[in-house]
Amino acid sequence: MAEITYRQALHDTLREELLRDENVFLLGEEIGIFEGSYKITAGLLKEFGPKRVVDTPICENSFVGMATGAAMLGLRPIVEIMTINFIVLAMDEIVNHAAKIYYMFGGQCPIPLVIRTPGGGGQQLAATHSQNLEVWFAHVPGLKVVAPSTPADAKGMLRTAVRDNNPVIFLENLALYNTKGEVPDGDYTVPFGQAKVAKEGADLTVISYSRMSTMALDVARRLEQANKLSIEVVDLRSLRPLDHETIINSVKKTNRAIVFEEDWRSFGVGAEIAATLQEEAFDFLDAPIKRVASVEVPLPYSKPLERAALTGAKQLMEAIDEIKPRRRR
Amino acid sequence: MSEVTMPRLSDTMEEGTIARWLKHAGDEIKKGDILAEIETDKATMDLEAYEAGTLEQILVQEGETVPIGQAVAIIGSGTSGVGARFIAPATPASAPPAPTNGQQQGQPPSAPTVARTEVAPAVPAHAESAQPERVSTPAKSPETAESSDGRGVKASPLARRMAEEHSIDLRQLQGTGPGGRIVRDDIQDYLEQRTPTQVSAAPEPAAPPQEAPAPVAQVSAPTETEVSPLSRMQSIIARRLTESKQTIPHFYVSSEVDMTDLLAMRQTFNASAGDDGVKVTVNDLIIKASALALEKFPEVNSSFKDGQFVRYKHIHVGMAVDIPSGLVVPVIHDANIKGVRSIAHESKALIEKARNNKLTMADLEGGTFSLSNLGMMDVTEFIAVINPPQSAILAVSSTRKRFVPVDSQPVVRDLMSMTMSADHRILYGATVARFLQEVKRLLQNPYSLLG
Repeated sequence: MAEITYRQALHDTLREELLRDENVFLLGEEIGIFEGSYKITAGLLKEFGPKRVVDTPICENSFVGMATGAAMLGLRPIVEIMTINFIVLAMDEIVNHAAKIYYMFGGQCPIPLVIRTPGGGGQQLAATHSQNLEVWFAHVPGLKVVAPSTPADAKGMLRTAVRDNNPVIFLENLALYNTKGEVPDGDYTVPFGQAKVAKEGADLTVISYSRMSTMALDVARRLEQANKLSIEVVDLRSLRPLDHETIINSVKKTNRAIVFEEDWRSFGVGAEIAATLQEEAFDFLDAPIKRVASVEVPLPYSKPLERAALTGAKQLMEAIDEIKPRRRR
Repeated sequence: MSEVTMPRLSDTMEEGTIARWLKHAGDEIKKGDILAEIETDKATMDLEAYEAGTLEQILVQEGETVPIGQAVAIIGSGTSGVGARFIAPATPASAPPAPTNGQQQGQPPSAPTVARTEVAPAVPAHAESAQPERVSTPAKSPETAESSDGRGVKASPLARRMAEEHSIDLRQLQGTGPGGRIVRDDIQDYLEQRTPTQVSAAPEPAAPPQEAPAPVAQVSAPTETEVSPLSRMQSIIARRLTESKQTIPHFYVSSEVDMTDLLAMRQTFNASAGDDGVKVTVNDLIIKASALALEKFPEVNSSFKDGQFVRYKHIHVGMAVDIPSGLVVPVIHDANIKGVRSIAHESKALIEKARNNKLTMADLEGGTFSLSNLGMMDVTEFIAVINPPQSAILAVSSTRKRFVPVDSQPVVRDLMSMTMSADHRILYGATVARFLQEVKRLLQNPYSLLG
């Protein structure tokens, strides 16, 4: 076990996968000579050369299309989209091509494509550079969407993504890159569709993913110390496929749930989870399922306004306070 | 027409058991008549009629337990001509009870429903013939299930499911969730308030195992056993003493007392009481000695409550009394300021009442210390379990003649051993030892008890 950053975990995994399988290659803007906008690909061009680490022009539709074609022909491309905001340009390639080709053409060629991209706000990057668009993809059959929150999961899930024969949207988060965590040794993988109970608890469940799940864990630990409220934190890790069993078992135990997401509230992951819970655990619910999400505005550039619009620990604590049970378990 | 409900007979009472009906359906009732005897967690008490009329229906049968406020009988004008045939069945049935009379079958469409907790106002006489099918049938019957499923009551899905599982009528509960919603906490509060032996609020016979259909449970093996449900008192004793021994860290301090002088004094004392006078017992003197010692060591006259040390201003000594149905602990209030003759008088009356099941709440409440005396049973030594919320109990054994060295010579004296059980959360060895020394000093200087 070693403690490394989320950034390091991604870098190491990319390097290991490049070494492991010669069909794996990287593709994206500024990932080679500039070593990546967030330095995930630092040193890889030097080590593997321009055929394995390909710098592209600023044209997401083109290079996602290229990657899809390469995957059809047996390569295993890993695309970096600088931030999820730019993925919008490649929607046709992702939704209409990558997600459909295996299905529409009689299973002739799978698409082992990974698209890595960070989402999230809070960096004063303004409305068009601070979004969380993962639900667009989680909505589409034929895609897999994962969003690890820890270096260990980032490593294990990126491995799974590279080795999966389906297109995978691998969601990162700007604010997670510098976070640290213990990472197991060896060539382990973390399967998709398995949420993780990050912290056990009895009074209430907070369901979250990516950066918000680390924040939820932090809040849960603080509340446990401060006033003995025992909060269970479920880190979804994978949005599609979504692990129903873990969230349902958790709510069967605690009877109360909050979905905590950085995204806007409407039509989001919170809505999906709340609907799932009421369908499958209705008789175990003791309070309405609460969604804690960001204010539904294009995210402001101004720091105070940005802070006011984004959800966070304070909003989560208020929600917990609102729906916590009177009696402790 | 009015309901007779289960009264609240003490502050701690949550529910009561109908021990015996003294009046029967169809009987004329005068105001003040005793309708029934009610067993609570502490005593058996009378249920009085507050108005005159005819006892039209008995809704809760003997042996059944219901929460306070629930209707147990209905007193009406008697004009409806209903009588004993309206007595509800003692055992619950999933179907409505079979009518005992053909005429009850006809059910006018507008017949008001009389559910257990809901009384139709001024039922017209012609409609009453429809009541027996509904009155007091347990919640399982379709009609009452419909009215008791809490439709219109705000409750979480979980609370509803729990209520159904435990046959709780949601309308009996006050929700504490947002907007008065009944939530899991409320159901749990309610379940905890019911005693462990009671299975549900529906008037079912109190069968201890949840699934047992009859009071006498099926026994697997061996076959030569007889299983009977605990009486209400027994189940309360079982629960409270288990709680005591499991939650209170007991510790024990023993001492031996020379009772020779006290026995002599008692003899003199009682000789002057005359034939009709109340004789003072050894126990009365020990009560007095304990009370005086408590006065000197107020920390022993206390409770550990919610992490706090509660000291009582008054000294009320409870004495364990053995009765055929179990054990009761009536209380001599302010024993420290009462003379031994008053104590003797009171304790005799209390024991009498205890044996006849006539103790009232006042007799049983407020004890701050307890005494358990098995002296009359030839007991060398024993240890008692603390009677919560008190912090100590004194176990008194038999007085026996023993050789004691006096000036290095064996002398026959009357020795009695006593053991104090104390709550170590608030009491410590030295305190209890000092307290015990004081009891001993008082008993060995018996005239100090007469002051």
